[in-house]
Amino acid sequence: MIMTIARKEFTEMFRDGRVRSGGLALLLLVGGSLLYGMRQTQQLATERDTARQLTRAHWVSQPAKNPHSAAHYGIYAFKPRATLATLDDGVDPYVGVTTWLEAHKQNEFQFRPAQDATSAQRFGTLTAATTLQLLVPLLIILLGFAVFAGEREQGTLRQVLSLGVKPSVLGAGKALGVAGVLSLVLIPAAVLGVIAITGMPDGGSDLVRLGVMIVSYIAYFVAWLALTLAISAFASTARVSLAASLGVWMLVCILAPRLMTDVVRSVHPTPSASAFAAAMKRDLDGGFDGHATGAQREKLFEEAVLKKYGVDSLSQLPVSFAGLSLHEGERHGDEVFDKHYGALWTTFAEQERVRELAAVVSPVLAMRSLSMALAGTDVAQHLHFQNAAEQYRRSLMTAMNGEMTMKSKGQDFDYKADPSTWSNVAPFDYEAPSAAWVLQRHTPAMLFLGVWAAGAVLLAGWSIGRMTP
Amino acid sequence: MLQATALSKSYGEKVALQPLSLTVKGGEVFCLLGANGAGKTTTINLFLDFIPRSGGSATVNGLDVTQHSLETKRLLAYIPEQVNLYRNLTGLENLTYFQQLSGQAPMPRTALLALCDRVGLPSGAPDKRIATYSKGMRQKVGIAIAIARNARALLLDEPTSGLDPQASNEFSAVLSDLRADGVAILMATHDLFRAKETGTRIGIMKHGAMVDEFAAADIGHADLEQLYLRHMRN
Ligand SMILES: Nc1ncnc2c1ncn2[C@@H]1O[C@H](COP(=O)(O)OP(=O)(O)OP(=O)(O)O)[C@@H](O)[C@H]1O
Ligand SMILES: [Mg+2]
Repeated sequence: MIMTIARKEFTEMFRDGRVRSGGLALLLLVGGSLLYGMRQTQQLATERDTARQLTRAHWVSQPAKNPHSAAHYGIYAFKPRATLATLDDGVDPYVGVTTWLEAHKQNEFQFRPAQDATSAQRFGTLTAATTLQLLVPLLIILLGFAVFAGEREQGTLRQVLSLGVKPSVLGAGKALGVAGVLSLVLIPAAVLGVIAITGMPDGGSDLVRLGVMIVSYIAYFVAWLALTLAISAFASTARVSLAASLGVWMLVCILAPRLMTDVVRSVHPTPSASAFAAAMKRDLDGGFDGHATGAQREKLFEEAVLKKYGVDSLSQLPVSFAGLSLHEGERHGDEVFDKHYGALWTTFAEQERVRELAAVVSPVLAMRSLSMALAGTDVAQHLHFQNAAEQYRRSLMTAMNGEMTMKSKGQDFDYKADPSTWSNVAPFDYEAPSAAWVLQRHTPAMLFLGVWAAGAVLLAGWSIGRMTP
Repeated sequence: MLQATALSKSYGEKVALQPLSLTVKGGEVFCLLGANGAGKTTTINLFLDFIPRSGGSATVNGLDVTQHSLETKRLLAYIPEQVNLYRNLTGLENLTYFQQLSGQAPMPRTALLALCDRVGLPSGAPDKRIATYSKGMRQKVGIAIAIARNARALLLDEPTSGLDPQASNEFSAVLSDLRADGVAILMATHDLFRAKETGTRIGIMKHGAMVDEFAAADIGHADLEQLYLRHMRN
């Protein structure tokens, strides 16, 4: 009987020209955004590979020079573009995918397409994720708003309800009918997506993430479908049903995320870029207490070194004082970076937590954070990369300063290291976090999404059960 | 089969149905007569549990219609004053849909077409979309749906409204067949002639109350009209 209802719903909707053209438009949108994302991913992957080889070649081909100059020469670190970023590029356009590793500085990401892009481009990048999160719910509403309210208005609901059909059967049949029409759009899109992902180099490694992503999106759509049916069962006319559903969509998809950005900013404010830089500079220059001047700290360090090596003057040192003091400078810098970036990143993590909790108000927020996380383009994974890059920078600096310290002596600044030194440094090889790492962090989001879907289904059941003609 | 006991309905101050008691046994056709607003549709809606009652009870085959909302409906077939169907589906598709939602085995196309023929739907019409149907044709599909349900009791709310005289006559024949099969029929109508013709019992309603009730056989055509008008004038 469920299938009978579903088939009739499907036939009716399919015979409606508006539904056909709407579905086709969405199919084109999803397909287009997928193809665009694929091209983008391939292009970025190629660019990144070329740049990675180039920066390594530049590093290795340095002539014999002072290790500290080499440290200043620096290296670019590139965040690998996960294949799933094709579907959801998350915060990547805002935080960038490249960082510059050099002496004395922990640099934030440099390359930010969003900064360079013209505003038209910025709004033009419609990713598959945006389509799935915002437009598919809209299509669900357009397909489903009339299923009960329209029948009520036409008067057919009187006859249907006089038959003694179980509300659960009626609801399931209607839902399945809408899902059938929807799947005409989504199944081709999903097939295209899976082919696109698995067809990419090392795309197969993301299958767990892709699987969880597909299940999450299905749960998300179930929530929307059930919500639409619940409203339709309740509304007196199709028009009221459409207006109410669209109202919910606006609230949940547009307003809630905007509001959330403001709430997150006011609950866990981040310092402005200039304030952050100023605070860091103060600590770098003056030590943590802010009183000891650079000269004073240098004096103390000098005394400690002399004492340690049991010599009277720096020129008598068996190792390079420059190397030691550069190392000391890095050590102090690292402490300062850890303090400031640590605080900033804790704030980011707290913001993320608030955003995730806010999924209580809007399933879009849960879906968005989950989708980005699974695609590997969320803030947490951005920071994971930043951390790895910074660790690499520190090990690189330790190596360069160690080379200087051990191979040179006293106050000799003219030491030149052999070019083989450069190739002895292992290239930066970043491994993105595993799917388990991501899933563990996003259990709340998955839970919220599940609760939304289950809640919406219960609401629909209740609303359909108490339906009158 | 159908039984109302002191069944009543009010909308706030407004009394739509005063405590009403009636019984329709299998093989009986109970015709409800009465002016517009007399409470006929209200009575039928209460049997369908479409509106909450204010007092009394209504049962179908001994089951209370509110407590056993779904079970009692499955015993019923209902033809509203205005049969509404899915405009984008054909007459036959509508019939098939409602027949299958009744929880019965699907009927073969030939049987469904025979049914359409029996209610007087022109040949060729069953495969046309409902959007192209006249009101009477829709009403005929409604009747076909009711027959296809194989119900134990029929609730008919002016089922022949909009039917041409020939179709009305054919409908009377259908009702006679069903009655002979032991189906209980409660029909609201304005057609005194049909009421006398097909009814076994007749009730006259006024301002939400049943003011008279008698066996159809006990009265002539002319007398029924006189009696009806007398009740309305008082
Ligand atoms: N939703 C409602 N709210 C208030 N009053 C109502 C409502 N529905 C019906 N009524 C009133 O109940 C009374 C009985 O109406 P009902 O529809 O049962 O009449 P009827 O006998 O079927 O009339 P008709 O011959 O016109 O079909 C009427 O006076 C009507 O105004
Ligand atoms: Mg009426």
